[in-house]
Amino acid sequence: MATAAEFDQMIKSGELIESRREMTPEYLRELKHTLIVSGDTELISAPAYYLAAKRAPSINAFMTGIAIIQDELAHAHIAYHILEELGEDQEKLIFSRDPKSFRYPYAFDVPLDSWTELVVANGMYDQAGFCLLGDIHEKCSYGPWKRGLNKVMAEENFHLRNGRTWMKRISAAGGSATDELQRAVDWMFPLSVEWFGLPDDLKMHSTQLEYRLKGLTNDQLRQWWLSTVVPYCEQIGIKVPAHKETRDGKDVWELDYPFPCEFDAEEKRWDFKQPITWDDVLVRWRNRGPRNAEMVAMFQEEFHKFRKTHHNGES
Amino acid sequence: MSRRLWAALSEVQDPEMPINLVDLGVIYAIDEHDGVVEIDLTFTAMGCPASDFILEDVRERLLREEGVREVRVKVVWDPPWTTARMTQAGRDALEAWGLAV
Repeated sequence: MATAAEFDQMIKSGELIESRREMTPEYLRELKHTLIVSGDTELISAPAYYLAAKRAPSINAFMTGIAIIQDELAHAHIAYHILEELGEDQEKLIFSRDPKSFRYPYAFDVPLDSWTELVVANGMYDQAGFCLLGDIHEKCSYGPWKRGLNKVMAEENFHLRNGRTWMKRISAAGGSATDELQRAVDWMFPLSVEWFGLPDDLKMHSTQLEYRLKGLTNDQLRQWWLSTVVPYCEQIGIKVPAHKETRDGKDVWELDYPFPCEFDAEEKRWDFKQPITWDDVLVRWRNRGPRNAEMVAMFQEEFHKFRKTHHNGES
Repeated sequence: MSRRLWAALSEVQDPEMPINLVDLGVIYAIDEHDGVVEIDLTFTAMGCPASDFILEDVRERLLREEGVREVRVKVVWDPPWTTARMTQAGRDALEAWGLAV
């Protein structure tokens, strides 16, 4: 293993890290943490999307929904497989962790109850995933993950396409269909904005950036996301609480509501008149949302039942 | 006209892979009479999750061609698509992407 100073030099010079032997314990810890967040996010999107995909309006749309879920499971598998190579027990990570210890964004704890909400998730949550993974794909210092993301990016594009195509169709339909789409965007847009975490002025130090596990800060990623989602929603006639300003010759996306602010997860409603602190947000995230246990149980329960039955059969 | 329509469809990308529909070998026939274009098209699998998008993209692209006023797409399954229907350019594109064909 390289000394800490030699290792830092490797990272700074842009070299790729290829094996556990090359890593310092701190790098290994940070890499594992980043992979767990990624794997958990992809994994939990499968049950979250499945509950809504069942409400697809046609066989073809259902097939597309199921194909997206299959992609998400495969993307989760890439992250967990790398974690296993780094010494973690994949089975324990997926099937034996307490639901509250999963590290996926809070947004997935709020149920998607319709096809409309699923396609908004494809247009907004998958766009968030695209920004986060696109950045890792371009900048990540760990070679096996960087290369594994080649295909992931192409597949995430397909999910975005499903989201955008359907959002456009539903918006064009008018009447109650458009109203339903607007309601979904109203609660899902701010949850996606929150997805990128603390603003840079509150997050003074990022080990992930130092180790080149990612290349962009939280605010830079949030700006990237806004720069794709806001113009698209405006183009298809859907209102979003954000606008573009030009500052020092550069485009900056500004939110039209206090960030962060109060969210009622049961009612799927934001109170823009009720600003809160990031400490309040962190408490909400730590407590998890209404469907955390149910989402995790969707893949953990049957695993344990099956295990138990087989064990009894053998004895 | 026929050559122009094939060229137009070679600009339509598969929604999931970096390859166009002509190089993928899923366009079986293009016929045109008085501005009405009839296409025989297949999918790589009957459960193709992108079929809806492909049909939409084909229609949209052909309607942008001068002289085309209607597009009729017939989805066919005979002969079934296999990788043998891909062009060499298509194979090269997928291999560069990391898919052995």
